[in-house]
Amino acid sequence: MTSGGEAVLFWILAPVSVLGALGLLLVRKAVHVALGMAVVMINLGIFYIAQNAEFLGIVQIVVYTGAVMMLFIFVLMLIGVDSSDSLVETIKGQKIAGLLLSTGLGVALFAAIGSATFASPIGLKEVNAGGNITGMAVLIFGKYVWAFEVTSALLITAALAAMVLAHRERLTPRPTQRQWSERRFQVGKNLAGLPAPGVYARRNAVDTPALLPDGTPSEASVPRVLTAREQVNDPEPYAGAERAIEREIEEGTNR
Amino acid sequence: MTNPYVPLLFLAACGVGFAVVSVLGLSFVGPRRYNRAKVDAYECGIEPTPQALGGGKVPVKYYLTAMLFIIFDIESVFLYPFAVAFSKLGLFALVEMVLFILTVFVAYAYVWRRGGLEWD
Amino acid sequence: MSLIVSLAAGAQNGVHAIAPSLASADNPIADFSDTPWWLSLIKALLVFVFLLINTLLVIWFERRVIGRMQQRPGPNRTGPFGLLQTLADGLKLAFKEDLTPKNADKVVFLLAPMIAGAMAFISFSIIPMGPVVSMFGHRTPLQLTDTPVAVLLVLAVAGVGVYGIIMAGWSSGSTYPLLGGLRSTAQVISYEIAMGLSLVAVFLYSGSMSTSQIVASQKSLWFIIPAFFSFLVYVVTMVGETNRLPFDLAEGEGELTGGFHTEYSSMKFAMFFLGEYVNMFTVSALATTMFLGGWQAPPGIAAINDGMFNQGWWGLLWFVIKLWSFMFFFVWLRGSLPRVRYDQFMRFGWKFLIPVTLLWVVSVAFIRGAQLAFFGESTRTATVIVVGVISLIALAAAWLWEGQHEAAAVPAERPEEIDPFAGGYPVPPMPGQRLREPSQQAERSLAGSTGHPELSDQEESRG
Repeated sequence: MTSGGEAVLFWILAPVSVLGALGLLLVRKAVHVALGMAVVMINLGIFYIAQNAEFLGIVQIVVYTGAVMMLFIFVLMLIGVDSSDSLVETIKGQKIAGLLLSTGLGVALFAAIGSATFASPIGLKEVNAGGNITGMAVLIFGKYVWAFEVTSALLITAALAAMVLAHRERLTPRPTQRQWSERRFQVGKNLAGLPAPGVYARRNAVDTPALLPDGTPSEASVPRVLTAREQVNDPEPYAGAERAIEREIEEGTNR
Repeated sequence: MTNPYVPLLFLAACGVGFAVVSVLGLSFVGPRRYNRAKVDAYECGIEPTPQALGGGKVPVKYYLTAMLFIIFDIESVFLYPFAVAFSKLGLFALVEMVLFILTVFVAYAYVWRRGGLEWD
Repeated sequence: MSLIVSLAAGAQNGVHAIAPSLASADNPIADFSDTPWWLSLIKALLVFVFLLINTLLVIWFERRVIGRMQQRPGPNRTGPFGLLQTLADGLKLAFKEDLTPKNADKVVFLLAPMIAGAMAFISFSIIPMGPVVSMFGHRTPLQLTDTPVAVLLVLAVAGVGVYGIIMAGWSSGSTYPLLGGLRSTAQVISYEIAMGLSLVAVFLYSGSMSTSQIVASQKSLWFIIPAFFSFLVYVVTMVGETNRLPFDLAEGEGELTGGFHTEYSSMKFAMFFLGEYVNMFTVSALATTMFLGGWQAPPGIAAINDGMFNQGWWGLLWFVIKLWSFMFFFVWLRGSLPRVRYDQFMRFGWKFLIPVTLLWVVSVAFIRGAQLAFFGESTRTATVIVVGVISLIALAAAWLWEGQHEAAAVPAERPEEIDPFAGGYPVPPMPGQRLREPSQQAERSLAGSTGHPELSDQEESRG
């Protein structure tokens, strides 16, 4: 049935796929689950290619691994690094309903596939005679044209759903740089923007405030977040050291 | 050479082997001196935050980008066989494709109008 | 703007030349029947070494050329002309401490650089680097392999390569890498669409996705002429795909330090670096193959001595020259352009590149349709009509667009005199404007309406 090379490939990749699929069920961290799934998707693509369905295999990798799994990963990363499965039922009877439905689906699938009859295969040589992609294209744009056109409706639905789920409408237009500046002038505060944090000979970081002309640290020059976290640095040691150096230079102390 | 993907596997093996050897093998070459500040997350000169931004969570708007990517990816996947077999498909396929692109364009125009393509 | 206007005009020039050269099937025409498996293995090793050496060279090349562009010599100490500088840097990286941050997800943190480094090499296997040559007593093409879906394979591998970036950014457990990785991923996937769409026009002309056939069908005319707009889009997207300046938003030093690889050190960091440069070679090689005739000699040279320069190892020379011109282009860009802002970059990709490339693909499909006698037997008349209609539409669109822009950019009425405090805060005068000052007003009412030339001069110079 299968050539030697294909068998070797199968026996290497099949366990990997099964491991990936098991990881999907057993691993606790959500992102690891998604990565396991990506491995399964890539392997599926390679299996398609090994069976001479080259276009299908590549598209499997481009669309599923490249696009769909990327969406999955984004969604899983939405819930954070340390999150793992929560076993609390949010809808009552969710588990039982899920179990029943999946058993039903399994039975239906087995019944449908078990009772299907296949015509005798005409062989890959014949199918791929005019080129694998051309043969595929003739089918898509000929026999299955209706399914192809309906796909576009599906894509519209997807766009709509994504907008409803993830888009937050902006109620007012975003102020431009010019408008920000005009607003500052109208209020009459911080006309030139907030002062930058302090730059000292031995420290140059956002947590060290700049000094006002009278030598006191400027509150406005450090981010409010750092003030709230009480991570603001005292500029005195750096400024003090600087003053000592300046004095030294001015006075010309001998070393 | 019967299968064109075998040479591809050779090159992939070269790449993977090189990556694994240099990352795993050469990681023992360098010195190892523990320092608490070294293994902290990097934040320019300030006390590092215990966790990445928002607990390492991705902003939800990237979901929209990924979804739009899927939509156009599928559209272009249909365009490839269409382009390759164009000479054998005839005028009907061209009309089909224009219809398809126009329909997907509706989704695109909708997202644009609602402001889904704005980044700030 | 003139791009769109001249879009159809350019396509008209060259398309007639290619039409008849199409083969019947979309399968590759490169013949690998005389290539035993061990020869493939040798060729794979050669491609691998070719890429490694070229990466070492291009990093040196980049630093030297950027140096020249900035009026300084660049690295010139290690080895002749500083050629060994990259090797020295690589060795130094290997002897650096390999850090794993304590917040990191250890497994993913380790996998990410391996994926980024390993994936970059795979795509190069389908790049045709020359015609059939003799190697170890076998006649074999200077190409590792070719498949009916070769070009898509590059896109698929690029899609898997993105995982390296997103995994690195996420697993570091730190803010900068997370943001950098997300930006980078969003950027790569956004530009991947425009890149894929720009290639469709080439497939329409070549009737195949196999690289050897695409090169063969450019025998009479390089696709850069009939598919010139695709070429422009491809060049923009290839810079976006490889995260290079002016699109290296992921590592905007001022805001994100190193982007997704901020937390990486030693060889793990080197892997990302290597991956980036090998990717540059891959996209440049694909551009060469798709638009610049691959390994074929430039038109004038190709005609010399009955195509002598298109035979054997000469192909490799032309290929390398074209490849390195793209590398120079990358360096040139880096030397001349500042970084684009993120929202501008995304807007350009989603609101301009994607819709315009789609329109371009549809136009090319109509032009091809006319050539293939879809619209009647007289292909020449049909082509001219289709190109005419498309250029008319493009012209009309350009005209409308321009009109809208002009309407939006109508300069505000600029009075001769302005009251600097009318808006509640002081406003400096524009060139040619005079300040209306209370004292001046009073003076003028006394002196009559002639004004003060010397005063307005003064104001002008200040504006």
